Amino acid sequence: MKDTLSSDPLVIGGHALDSRFFLGTGRFPSPAVMQQALMASEAEVITFAVRRINLEEVADDSVLQHVADRGYIYLPNTSGSSNADEAVRIARLARAAGLGNWIKVEISADPRTLLPDPIETLRATERLVQEQFIVLPYTSDDPILCRRLQEAGAAAVMPGGSPIGTGLGLLNPYNLGLIAEEAVVPVIVDAGLGSAQDVVQAMELGASGILANTPVAKAQDPVAMARAMKLAVEAGRLSYLAGRIPKRRYASASSTSEGSLYEAVMAEGKA
Amino acid sequence: MNGKLDFKLYVITGENYHPGRSMLEVMEAALKGGADIVQLRDKDISKRDLLEKAKRLKDLTAKYNVPLIVNDHPDVALAIDADGVHLGQDDMPIAVARRIMGPDRIIGISTHRIEQAREAEQAGADYIGVGPVYATGTKPGRQPVTTAYVSEVAAEIRIPWVAIGGITPDNAFEVLNAGANRLCVVSAVVGSEDPEAVCRRFIALIEARDGSPNASVESKATGIFVTVNGRRSRTQASTLLELAEQYELQDRRVVAEMDGEFVPRRSWGEAPLRVGATVEFVHFVGGG
Repeated sequence: MKDTLSSDPLVIGGHALDSRFFLGTGRFPSPAVMQQALMASEAEVITFAVRRINLEEVADDSVLQHVADRGYIYLPNTSGSSNADEAVRIARLARAAGLGNWIKVEISADPRTLLPDPIETLRATERLVQEQFIVLPYTSDDPILCRRLQEAGAAAVMPGGSPIGTGLGLLNPYNLGLIAEEAVVPVIVDAGLGSAQDVVQAMELGASGILANTPVAKAQDPVAMARAMKLAVEAGRLSYLAGRIPKRRYASASSTSEGSLYEAVMAEGKA
Repeated sequence: MNGKLDFKLYVITGENYHPGRSMLEVMEAALKGGADIVQLRDKDISKRDLLEKAKRLKDLTAKYNVPLIVNDHPDVALAIDADGVHLGQDDMPIAVARRIMGPDRIIGISTHRIEQAREAEQAGADYIGVGPVYATGTKPGRQPVTTAYVSEVAAEIRIPWVAIGGITPDNAFEVLNAGANRLCVVSAVVGSEDPEAVCRRFIALIEARDGSPNASVESKATGIFVTVNGRRSRTQASTLLELAEQYELQDRRVVAEMDGEFVPRRSWGEAPLRVGATVEFVHFVGGG
């Protein structure tokens, strides 16, 4: 069983990843808890955001000081942008910091739902691919849009299960399954996951991985939830690879009826 | 808007005071000197010409991140996306202007008596003009309200207010002593040979009145205005590195952008700080 997983790397932008669990770094109760959760998750890709320095605060509150030099792949997001121009600007600043060229395009046009703007997301993806970024767009769970993003050169697509931070789980499993089925690049289900069961469901639908932040950071025990979700990713992936049975309407006994001590009774019952 | 409106030196255009020099040239000098809000006033030209002039001035003030107010004409203000409009006592009521301008734009109004100031505050003005403190060629024939009115307003009015009318670097201390902490100037700035220097002088006088540290008027009159992380501030720094050091950022994991262009850290020392430059210092924070 171990072998099935270890011979099953996730390849994004030429990088082979052993972990299919991407973890966000926001909203943890403390840097120490975040570090422990990162360890428990065994994540290799971690996300963060780009913000203005608070000029009144002299202490260094950068998230990087807590995670530097541990071999993580950094996936900065473009949150706070509401169009492609702003997203491209944030992406350039993030890359300029010298932490690699991965970028999660995240363009929200609506403050209440934070749902991604599909048009601007596609535009930003096209431009950033031109500029040699490894682009992972956070996108609506729309199969056609995901196809367009792949055609634009996205290294992976990241459809949301439900709006960011809601924990509503997968609102449209049909679409997510279709996206996974048709994708030629990895599909990372991002946003809206609530607990381990949503993770398993996403992986069983064929997702290549998941990205979570709020459900871990805001869990009662973030470190335990990080581990639960890591196990759920593995369980869901194995389950997907193993191939589930088809669903059927009526029971199907686990043992043959032949040799049953009460064969006659059962036959009578049927009649 | 009230909470956001903050300024020290309000400069109004007055082209008749500087024949031979263009309005944009003179106003740019004022902006370099530290004018932090600008009003376009021209009562002698057609609305069509005013609109053109307003557009060009808006481009200039945007470059310096300074709000632009249009005198008398809410429609022109909206058409060129100005930050607000300034009304006189004989113009439309504030409530009507507010309906036209919407909740977020600035509405200011001239007042000459404490009753008018109270009424403007009640009606939801974002700021009021208080004057003319002294006799002025900009408003010939108007009886000066003197610093007595300035003191009345200082004691009672809670919205931002600005003293105006015949104020020069020589009499500014009287106005400031009467309780003003913002000054509005036309001829003393735009009629000067060196509007930039006069503005620096005014800013120094206002800051000295503020009780700012280093209150020696002459030494405070140096430095340039830049916008750092969205906030307009004055700095003595001449390079990006010196600016970073001013905020103790030189040893932190910080990325800098100046006027929309990323500046690599090794180049900070050689990156000159332009007057009116827009600088962003960013870093990474937790996120999903």
